[in-house]
Amino acid sequence: MVRILLVEDNEMNRDMLSRRLERRGYEVTMAVDGRQGVEMALVGKFDLVLMDMSLPEVDGWEATRQLRAAPATKAVPVIALTAHAMAGDRERAIEAGADDYDTKPIELPRLLGKMEALLKKKA
Amino acid sequence: MARKLIAPRRRRPDPRTPSAHRQGALLRLCTAIAAANDEREIYESVVNGLHDEAIGYDFLGVFLLDAATGDRVLRASIGWPDVPAGWRVHAGEGLSERALEDGKLHYTSDVTRAAGYLPSLASGSEADVPLRVHGETIGVLVVESTEPNAFGPADFEILEAAANQAGIAVERARLLEAERRRPDEHKALNDTMADLSSELELSKVLQFVIARAVSLLGVTGGEVAIYEEETDDLVVVASEHIGKASTGTRLRIGEGAMGTVARTLEPLIIPSYHEWAGHSAKYDDVVVHSVMAAPLLIGRRLVGAIATVHADPARVFNGEDLRLLKLFAPQAAIAIENARLYAAAHRQRQYFGELVRNSPVAIVTLNREYHIVECNPAFENLFGYTQAEAVGRDLDALITTQTTRGEAQTYSRDALDRPVHGIGRRQRKDGTMVDVELLGVPVIVDGERVGLMGLYHDITELLGARRDAEAANKAKSEFLASMSHELRTPLNAIIGYSEMVREELEETGHPQLQQDVGKIGIAGRHLLSLINDILDLSKIEAGKMELHLETFAIAPMLDDVVTTATPLVEKNGNQLDVRRPSEGMAMHADLTKVRQMLLNLLSNASKFTERGTVTLAAELRCDTVVFTIADTGIGMTPAQLSRLFTAFAQGDAATSGKYGGTGLGLAITKRFAHLMGGDVWVESAAGAGSTFTIRIPLHVQPDHALRSHTDDGGRSTDG
Repeated sequence: MVRILLVEDNEMNRDMLSRRLERRGYEVTMAVDGRQGVEMALVGKFDLVLMDMSLPEVDGWEATRQLRAAPATKAVPVIALTAHAMAGDRERAIEAGADDYDTKPIELPRLLGKMEALLKKKA
Repeated sequence: MARKLIAPRRRRPDPRTPSAHRQGALLRLCTAIAAANDEREIYESVVNGLHDEAIGYDFLGVFLLDAATGDRVLRASIGWPDVPAGWRVHAGEGLSERALEDGKLHYTSDVTRAAGYLPSLASGSEADVPLRVHGETIGVLVVESTEPNAFGPADFEILEAAANQAGIAVERARLLEAERRRPDEHKALNDTMADLSSELELSKVLQFVIARAVSLLGVTGGEVAIYEEETDDLVVVASEHIGKASTGTRLRIGEGAMGTVARTLEPLIIPSYHEWAGHSAKYDDVVVHSVMAAPLLIGRRLVGAIATVHADPARVFNGEDLRLLKLFAPQAAIAIENARLYAAAHRQRQYFGELVRNSPVAIVTLNREYHIVECNPAFENLFGYTQAEAVGRDLDALITTQTTRGEAQTYSRDALDRPVHGIGRRQRKDGTMVDVELLGVPVIVDGERVGLMGLYHDITELLGARRDAEAANKAKSEFLASMSHELRTPLNAIIGYSEMVREELEETGHPQLQQDVGKIGIAGRHLLSLINDILDLSKIEAGKMELHLETFAIAPMLDDVVTTATPLVEKNGNQLDVRRPSEGMAMHADLTKVRQMLLNLLSNASKFTERGTVTLAAELRCDTVVFTIADTGIGMTPAQLSRLFTAFAQGDAATSGKYGGTGLGLAITKRFAHLMGGDVWVESAAGAGSTFTIRIPLHVQPDHALRSHTDDGGRSTDG
């Protein structure tokens, strides 16, 4: 089963996205801020990380950089989730080391397409 | 002769008087004539001499011809107590006229039988002897007797001798008089010229002019009137010995002597003013006999009139008098014209002076050394210096501080050459600062730069208001941006959960609920797009919209847009016609914004077109990518077109009700285009569809974002 780490501080977004992904057969683990996300990623052996950018404690860009810097996680694909409002977030996410990005609100088919592409590449 | 002679003729000349005796009397007569100082004395000597006991004529008089009228005017007489000097015999009347006509002595032995005899007169014989000067008959010596046949050749001899002597004496007297007058004339003219060049009041100059004219002409008095254009009147401004000062008297054009010459523009001599048909009742109380008047002209333009009068009926104006008057007339005219020009210039200066004085703008004039020459009350108020304190000071040292002095001096230097305009801070006398808009202009007089003028307008309030407005606008934009962002979070949940529930219902099979939940999702997405638009616009207005430039292929971008737009296009039964550019063509721009612009326009085209065609095309023209979005829809009227790219404006309220949307799409599209150094425009007609064209540089420069910042954010006023 594909293991996904969803790092998202908003409870409803977390709940919603996790349930939709689970329905499609993914195993979803959740972190509520950037620091927790990094901690869990380092030990959790995930296939892919969905990383919100606006996070408390450590924000999404910093968390992504840390994942890229750590040998255990540097090969794990990261998809940055950015708000439409923050157009600059996208480039900054790529710069921080995200493999791809998607904008909120999540259009599930589009996100799934991006996830599958990265998973296939990794495999 | 027509006259009122009723006195008895006392005696007639005694032919028996010894010839030697009469010769002696004649010699005395000639001596007296020769000794006479002027014409009046000559004529008196003539009548007195002939009245002498030794000669013995009792009724005699000297008449002079008034050339202007043809009248004979009595100058001296003996034995006619009822007629004073100045009494006139009109042309065509009396017997003595013949002597004037042919220059010969005429003897009438019995006047009662002569043609021209007037029955009212009691008379006997009459001898009329011409008075001739230099071959010209100037008058006539009339000698009468109560008895017919009273005179003989001996009388004629004596009378002609006396007349000849008188003629010679008059000629000499006139020459002497002219000689005597000439230095006076020159002096009078020189004095008048001196007055003209001095700064005397007009009324004083004219008073001097008329006083000199009166003295030189030897007349009783005179006056000068100015032509007043506004009222078309003559107004007497200088008066010399005319009744109780005629100053202030107004004459209509055509009224009286001066009014008449003002109309005819020709000089005029009036022998007997009160009998003259054109006389003015305004002079009824004044003793005036003959009048000589002349218009005062500058070229052919009337500026006034001058008149001199004889109160003495014996005095007659002649050509010499007219010559003299004509010497003074131009001077009086020049005096009036000078005064008029001076008054006009003075009024003009006063007018501009008042403008400057009352101007709410602070005005200061500087000389070429930038020292203050003059300043107005607004300047005094603005900077706190009185004119007395400011004059002579260096302006740029007076109202500047260390930091602004250099800038102020640059303005001053430039303003000596050309107008300058700017905004700056200046210091008041009390040390406080004031924001001013300043304007400097060179002052050029007759081509020479004599200095400059500075204008200062206090814009402290204006700048404050502008800062407040900018701050308020920024606060508004920031509020909108943050609010939109806050709205999105719950909205994401609404959209996400509705989507999730719809998916679950799909699996468990509740078709009706599935549809309802789908509507929640659609409404949520619509709300989201509105919020996104507001957010975009407020970010643009807050100057926070950034460009993210990347190089991308155009064709795939179009495909992507088409995929997204197709459901929209097809909803109204429209066809989408896409004209792709060649596969390899790429541009450097903000991909997201270009997509958003195209989607906005496609969405609009689809909304306002039913069962028609929407065309999307892209092509390269020089260094510009041109996107065209055309439709066959309802189109727009010119009024709608004019408001098209304005935020929150749709066709009209009905349109927005029917078609939905915030009306922000086009405003955003236009601002995006400007951000990238491009533009967007539309061609449309009501009922004939619309064609929108977007022009974006093939390679967008990053600095466009900076430049277009001020695009809609107010004018920059630096200068």
